[in-house]
Amino acid sequence: MIDIQFQKNLNGSSGKMLLDIDLKIVKGAFVSLYGPSGAGKTSILRMIAGLLAPDQGKLKVGGETWYDSAVKVSLSPQKRDVGMVFQDFALFPNLTVRGNLEYAKNKQSDGAIVGELIDLMDLGDLQDSQTTMLSGGQKQRVALARSIVQKPSVLLLDEPLSALDPSMRSKLQDYILKAHKVYDLTTIMVSHDVAEIFKMSDEVIMLDQGCVTKRGKPREVFANNEVSGKFQFTGEIVEIQHQGFLYIISILIGNDFVKVIGEKEEVKDLKVGERVMVASKAFNPIIKKLHV
Amino acid sequence: MNILHGIINEVVTSDHLSLVRVDIDTSLLSAIVIDTPESCDYLKKGHAVQVIFKETEVVIGKGADHKNISLRNKLTGTIGSIEKGDLLSKISIITNVGPVVSIITTASVEQLRLSKGDVVTGMIKTNEVMLSSITTKTESA
Repeated sequence: MIDIQFQKNLNGSSGKMLLDIDLKIVKGAFVSLYGPSGAGKTSILRMIAGLLAPDQGKLKVGGETWYDSAVKVSLSPQKRDVGMVFQDFALFPNLTVRGNLEYAKNKQSDGAIVGELIDLMDLGDLQDSQTTMLSGGQKQRVALARSIVQKPSVLLLDEPLSALDPSMRSKLQDYILKAHKVYDLTTIMVSHDVAEIFKMSDEVIMLDQGCVTKRGKPREVFANNEVSGKFQFTGEIVEIQHQGFLYIISILIGNDFVKVIGEKEEVKDLKVGERVMVASKAFNPIIKKLHV
Repeated sequence: MNILHGIINEVVTSDHLSLVRVDIDTSLLSAIVIDTPESCDYLKKGHAVQVIFKETEVVIGKGADHKNISLRNKLTGTIGSIEKGDLLSKISIITNVGPVVSIITTASVEQLRLSKGDVVTGMIKTNEVMLSSITTKTESA
């Protein structure tokens, strides 16, 4: 169990903000933090890691107190049993892949883990390469392996995959999930990618302005029950074309354009540039596998 | 889109799907949804809902008697107006639950020789009907 109670005044992008959270996370859970930029997600990870001091609060991990403002306890980052992977990680450029993992291993820990992680992360062919020779995805795999070498009580991931292309991203997600399960980690990940959160997390915590606004299974938290249609997106109107008594409304949803036929009454309040919900019954769409 | 207001009369659930019957005045419309009373709190008898379906999903049958057809949702009325386009036509039907609009091909309008004042039945497949809770709005208002 991780028991987090943090209060801190932060200078967010939209002025001063009080971060005030009280969370309990069960051991072995994969939890995602989701919310707009400046909601306090990264600050929470940094406070868990000991890189940022709360104004007051408590942090207990598996019964051990890492921070308690009331009794002035605050373990240094080195003493906190955490693994971290951030978007802009730094590997030691003068060491090989294996060298990076060996370096991260503490002396007491079992020597076999480096080999085990090299296998688990499919780094066998790369283990003797200098890290400067690796691609972004390979480097991130090494960073992930390195963060797990010490079998941390808590694994903190701050948008670790946001710089990668979708197929590499998907592979890395699989590696993270595998490591999370094999080493029975408790993982807290910051992500802006709803699909990623669905795939990986047991639970999502939605944050806004330093406070928890929603918490639950991704399916529940992201459910939109406004209309029952399950084929539902939000997008922006880019064009409205007139077609007799009908209108063809082009809507940008993510990077995809869709077209929707609308009737006069439906279109009369709509303007180009507005954000809209598009919904259909789940019974209509067809699904076809893409050949890549 | 067509929006009618009704009260849920019955919810029959099987695994993840529910068949919802909604009373709209003296008519009964059904919707099948990927929700259950557990996943969606308004899916309960007595709740006020909007019943939503697209004009393009309304099938037109001439006359009032359509027994041998799989479509469950039938609303009989008279044609209030017909707006003919080159390919598609818009038919407004005055029914006892209010106006219902159907968009069908102009070829069908001509083949059925539809004109204003004709008795027709608008029919909608159960899987084309969406629901939306209106209790929150009325309760908060």
